[in-house]
Amino acid sequence: MIPTVSASGLSLRYGRAQALDDVSLRLTQGVTGLLGPNGAGKTTLLRVLATAVPADRGAFTVLGHDPAAPAGRQELRRGLGYLPQTPGFHPDFTAFEFVDYVAILKELTDRTARHREVRRVLDQVDLAEVRGKRIKKLSGGMRQRVALAAALVGDPGFLVLDEPTVGLDPEQRMRFRELIAQAGEGRTVLLSTHQTEDVAMLCHRVLVMAGGRIRFDGTPAELTARAAGRVWSSTERDPAAKAGWRTGTGSFRNVGSPPDGADLLEPTLEDGYLLTLDGADAEVAA
Amino acid sequence: MRVSGQVRVGGQVRVGGQVRVARELLLPAGRALPWRSPAAGAGLGLLILAVPRLTDTEPAPWLALVLLRCAILAHAVGLAFLMDDPARHTTATVPTRRALRTAVRLALITPVTALWWTAALLLVPSHIRPPTGDLTLEAAAVCVLALAAGAAAVRLTDAPAPGVSVAAALLFTAVVAPLLLPDQWALFVPPGDQRWGVAHERWAGVLAGAVVLWGICLPEPLRRGPGALRLRSPCGTSDPSRT
Repeated sequence: MIPTVSASGLSLRYGRAQALDDVSLRLTQGVTGLLGPNGAGKTTLLRVLATAVPADRGAFTVLGHDPAAPAGRQELRRGLGYLPQTPGFHPDFTAFEFVDYVAILKELTDRTARHREVRRVLDQVDLAEVRGKRIKKLSGGMRQRVALAAALVGDPGFLVLDEPTVGLDPEQRMRFRELIAQAGEGRTVLLSTHQTEDVAMLCHRVLVMAGGRIRFDGTPAELTARAAGRVWSSTERDPAAKAGWRTGTGSFRNVGSPPDGADLLEPTLEDGYLLTLDGADAEVAA
Repeated sequence: MRVSGQVRVGGQVRVGGQVRVARELLLPAGRALPWRSPAAGAGLGLLILAVPRLTDTEPAPWLALVLLRCAILAHAVGLAFLMDDPARHTTATVPTRRALRTAVRLALITPVTALWWTAALLLVPSHIRPPTGDLTLEAAAVCVLALAAGAAAVRLTDAPAPGVSVAAALLFTAVVAPLLLPDQWALFVPPGDQRWGVAHERWAGVLAGAVVLWGICLPEPLRRGPGALRLRSPCGTSDPSRT
């Protein structure tokens, strides 16, 4: 399959902090999850791929366009939708006016076609009813959907979503999950999140970042499999465990290197993620 | 999800070109502009100039000049907020170039500023009014400097609203510059002073420098140079966990 995004050797430094360290990746159609702790470089990677900030070193193409030249960057942006971690709005605009404003900035200059497109994306994110309401009067979840509608306007081939479900209640998160799954049909979506269950349910592929590097690249099942035979239950917290907590049933769920004869449990993607990060920490410490 | 019968907005709709984008942008950009700050600055400037008329006194020529310079500064401080854009991050990666978006903002604010300056000059009686051309040069230099500083703040930081910092820096510079500038670099001289002509050559230099700074800061960087000043990560690394 032809990759939508192809990047090699991306590096970027903020002061003394190496935010990205020689990152290479290829993304194809579908939803790819990006997991990692705070400070791992997820937002920086997304911002670089979305051309919001240039990398210090390395190169990449999106939909065949290289942003190293102004014309290439402009072409790339024509096929891009970007939902930043903290989207901002003109609060006095209505949802329709704001998405229309973004549509103009995306060079949709035919007013009739543009308004039809704005209504389409607002319908898609379930905001048709409130499209005439001022953004400052919308709830946090609705604002997030306005930002998603703005990202979707123009039918981009590459969608970059930076923690879109942060601050949403469980119902809103489930709704958003549905929207992201729909958005992933026929296009490439890169989804940064702290929610491992979002990745487990939405993504065909997952990347784990730590210390500015990609530590894992595979399917959610492969990440989960990393924890196979390394999750067990016990009546006491096992001091040998990398992580352990008391569950609702009163027994402890431990993740790490189980003792002989341990009562092994089915691992989750989160267990695989924790063990991958643990390996990354050990590598950094070494 | 592809809605049946949806608009395919590839080639046909995007043929507009920059002029059509600019035309469509005028109305929403006008609504998105932070009008309150420039309006407050302009209002304060006019109020400063109106004080002698309101108190029915005629200021001395030197005081008229000081009042005009204070009015220019007040207006420029207001203009420092012109680059504020709360939607900056949401619209960071659109294909319309930053230069065009700034040009639309300028196209909206320039006629208003020109009207304001005319009104400001008219508030000063003609027989005590300093040379209009030279003072217009001063006003242009200070206003463009404010806008260039705003553009630099946008280029070098991730703040969506750097106006407060830019305005504070401008005020600080305006207070400190007359005190610290050596005589041979004096900018703030009275009309009768023999250095008036030379000072206005310097003002022309300030204007040219501000235009160059603005020109450098306007385009988005394709590569980060060795002097890149983004010292902090924009979001994730500097914030506590948001989960």
